[in-house]
Amino acid sequence: MGTENETTEDLRRTDGIDLAQLRGGLFEASLVFATVVGIFALAVLFGYIAFDAFQPLTASARWYLLYFGTLVAPTAAYTLYVRRRPAARDVNAKAFGVFFGSLMLALVTYIVASALDPKDVFVYAIFGAVPPTLVFLYARISDDRTYTGPLVPVSIVGGLAAGGALFDVVRPIVGIAQEWVAYFGFVTLPVAGILGLVVARRYAAKSTAEVGVADDDWRTVMGRQAKYRGGLAFGAVVGSTLVVVVAALVNGIDPAFWVVIFSGFVVPVAYVVGQTVLDDADGRIGVAGPFVVVGGVLVGAIIERQFAIQGLESFLTPNLLLNSWDGLNASNAGVYPQIVGSIVIVAFMALLAFPVGIGAAIYLEEYAPASGWGGRLATLLEVNISNLAGVPSVVYGLLGLALFRNALGFGTGIVFSAAGTLGLLILPIVVVSTQEALRSVPDSLRQASFGMGASRWQTLRNVVLPEAVPGTLTGTILALARAIGETAPLVIIAVATTRYTPPEGLFSAATALPLQIFAARSSAHAEFRHGVVPAAAVVLLVLMLLMNATAIVIRNRYERRS
Amino acid sequence: MSEPDTPKIETTVQGTGTSETADSIADRGRTVIESRNLSVHYGDEQALQDVSMKVPRRQVTAIIGPSGCGKSTFLRCINRMNDLVDSAVVEGELLLEGTNVYDDDIDPVALRRQIGMVFQHPNPFPKSIYDNVAYGLRIQGITDKMDERVQTALERAALWDEVKDQLQKSALDLSGGQQQRLCIARAIAVDPDVLLMDEPASALDPIATSKIEDLIEELAEEYTVIIVTHNMQQAARISDKTAVFLTGGNLVEFDDTESIFENPESERVEDYITGKFG
Repeated sequence: MGTENETTEDLRRTDGIDLAQLRGGLFEASLVFATVVGIFALAVLFGYIAFDAFQPLTASARWYLLYFGTLVAPTAAYTLYVRRRPAARDVNAKAFGVFFGSLMLALVTYIVASALDPKDVFVYAIFGAVPPTLVFLYARISDDRTYTGPLVPVSIVGGLAAGGALFDVVRPIVGIAQEWVAYFGFVTLPVAGILGLVVARRYAAKSTAEVGVADDDWRTVMGRQAKYRGGLAFGAVVGSTLVVVVAALVNGIDPAFWVVIFSGFVVPVAYVVGQTVLDDADGRIGVAGPFVVVGGVLVGAIIERQFAIQGLESFLTPNLLLNSWDGLNASNAGVYPQIVGSIVIVAFMALLAFPVGIGAAIYLEEYAPASGWGGRLATLLEVNISNLAGVPSVVYGLLGLALFRNALGFGTGIVFSAAGTLGLLILPIVVVSTQEALRSVPDSLRQASFGMGASRWQTLRNVVLPEAVPGTLTGTILALARAIGETAPLVIIAVATTRYTPPEGLFSAATALPLQIFAARSSAHAEFRHGVVPAAAVVLLVLMLLMNATAIVIRNRYERRS
Repeated sequence: MSEPDTPKIETTVQGTGTSETADSIADRGRTVIESRNLSVHYGDEQALQDVSMKVPRRQVTAIIGPSGCGKSTFLRCINRMNDLVDSAVVEGELLLEGTNVYDDDIDPVALRRQIGMVFQHPNPFPKSIYDNVAYGLRIQGITDKMDERVQTALERAALWDEVKDQLQKSALDLSGGQQQRLCIARAIAVDPDVLLMDEPASALDPIATSKIEDLIEELAEEYTVIIVTHNMQQAARISDKTAVFLTGGNLVEFDDTESIFENPESERVEDYITGKFG
C-alpha cells in the first residue's frame, strides 16, 4: 500500500451520498432558512405598520409620479454618481450627518428647553459651564496639569449645586431678559465657542502639516494666528445670530426659535459646506446630498399644493407631531406632549444612569481586585449585574414604585420617577457593554503605559478610555433606544397615558409616546386604532432609529480615527 | 545575522561615546542593579528562587533560559511590573543604586519613570508617532522643548530618518520593526537610567532583528540594558554579561558572556547552550 495512485484517488468525490457531506449541507440549509424567516418576519411587521401609517393606497398615481420625479429619481441619480467617487462619498456621509444631526439636535434642544422654561435652563447652564471653563483656562496659563483633569467633573457638579442653591437669587435677574437671550446664552455661545476652537485647531494642524513639525504651542506665531482665526469665527457666529435676532424683532416675530435654528443648524451646516467647498476639490460634490433630498421634498410639496394633487390620506401629518392629544377627532390628535415627555425622560435618565453605569464598569474592570475576597466579591457583582440585564421590565416598574413612590416619597408619574426607574432598567446594560468595551482594549497597551511610569489614572485617561469610547457609546446609546420604547415599567409607576401639556420640569407629571400608543390602541374609534396608532408607532420607531444611527455614526468616527 | 558569534566584551573598554565625561566612563561597569535572594511566587507556583546577581552599569546584560524559567519574571521585578499581578508575592531585595525598590516607601510609578521597558510584541499606542514618543514626557508633566526631545529620542532609536515626514501619522501604520523601534524611542524619550527589554526581537523578521540588535549595542553606551532573550546567538552577539536561568526559576550561572558561551562552569548550562535540552 502507499502508492501515489491510491492516495490521490482518495481525494476524489465519491458518486454516492456521503453522510458527512449531507449533514453539513443540511446544517447550512437550516441556517439559511432561519435567516430568511427572521428577515421575512421583520419585513412583514414593518410593512404592516407602514401600510397603516402611510395609507399608500389613498394617494393618486399622479402623486407618486410627482415625488418620483422630484425626490426619488434625483436622489437615486445623485447617489449613483457619488458612489463612484470615494472622496465624495465620505463628504456625502459627513454632510448628511451634519445636516440631519444638527437639525435634530437643535429641534430637541428647543423642544426640551421651551418645555422646561429656557431661563431655568440658562441659569443651570451658566452655573454648570463657568467653573470647568475657569479650570481649563487655569490649565492653559499655568502648565500645572496635575489636578485640572479630575477637577473638571468636580467643578461641573459643584457649579450645578451652587446653581441650585443660588437659583432663587439668580432666576429673577435672568427673568428680566427676553427668552431669546436665554437661548442665545446656552445655544449660540457654545456653538460659537466650539466652532472657534475647531477653526483654530484646524488652522494649527494645517500649518504644522506644511511645516512638518507638530506645534501645539499657543505662544508661537502659528499659535497666535490660529487663535486669531478662531476668535474671528466666534465673532462671526455671534454677530450673524444677532442679525437674525434683529431681523426677527423688526418683523415682529419671536426670535427664540430662530436663534436656536440658526446657531444650532444653519451655522454648523454652513461651516461644513463652506469648508468642504473651499478645501476639498475632490469631495466637493458630496456636500449636495442632503440638499437634493430636502429640496426634492420641498419642490414636491409645493407642486402638490399648487395643482391640488391627491396625496396620502395618512395620519402622519404635522398635526400629529405638533398638536396635543384629542381623543375624539383622530385627524386633530397629536402627540407633541408625549414626544417631549419621552425625550425629557430619556435625557434625564441618561444623566442619571450613564455616569453611574460607566463608573461601575470602570471600577469592576480596571480597579477591582482579581483575587482574594475582594476578587470574589467583584466576580459575584459582575455575575449579578449580567443577570439583572435580563430581569423583566415589569419587575423594574415594581422596583421603581417601591423606591421612588414608597421609600423616597416622590409623586407618581413624574419625570424624576420615570427617569429613575428606566435608569435602573438600563443600568446593567450600560455596565455590561462598557465592561465589554474596556475588556476589548489590549492589555499590552496598559502594560506599555504602566511601564512608562504612568499612574493608573493616567493610563485610564490617556490610553484605555479613548480606545473604549466607541464600544461604550454604542452600548449606551442602544440602551437609550431600548429605554425610549419601554412601556410596562411606566405603567406600573403610574405615568399617565394621556396628558395635554409637555412636562415643565423634573418633578412635573409627564407621559411618554409608547404609553399613548398603548392607550390609543383600545380606543373605540377605528380611525385611532388603524390610523393614529401606527402613525405614532412610526414616530417612535423613527426616534429610536435616529438614536441607533447616532450610535453607529459615533462609532464609525472613532474607529476611523484610531 | 551573519556576524560571527564573538562576544562584545570590548565595548566596555572601547565604546566611549563622544559626549561622555570622564566621570561616567569611570562609572561604567559599576553595579547599578543588584538582586539579593530574590524569590517570586504566583500563588503556589514558584517563579523565581533565591536569585542574586549584580547588573553592571552601561553594559548589555542578557538573560537567557528555556520557556517558563522565570527570566521575564526577573525583568519585571526590576521595575515592579509584577505589582500589577495580584497573586505575585516578591521576597528578598532588589537594589537600584543601593536602594531596595521593594521598600514600603518606594512609589512604583516613580520607579518605572527611571526604568524604561520594551515588550516582546511591539505595542505602540493607537496615537500618532509624535504622541507615542511624547507620551512619557507628557505624563511626567514635561511640556517644554517637546519637538526637540521627540526628535532626539527618534534619532537615538534610529527611526527619525524613516518617519520625520509623517510624525502625525498613526503609529499603527508602521511596520513591525519600526513599531518596535518606536517603542524603544518611547522608552528612552524620558531618559531613563535602565532599559529593560523582554524579548524585543522575537516577533520580528531577521532584518528588523539585526537593526534592533545594532540599536541595542549603541544604546548600551548611554543606558544600562537588560535584555531577556531565548535566542542564544543574539545573547552572544550583543551582550557583555549573560545570566542563565534554568527550570524552577533558578539562576544557574552569571558571568561574562564570553566565559558563559565558551567555558561554562555548570554542566547543565553547557547542555542548554549546546542544545542538548531546552
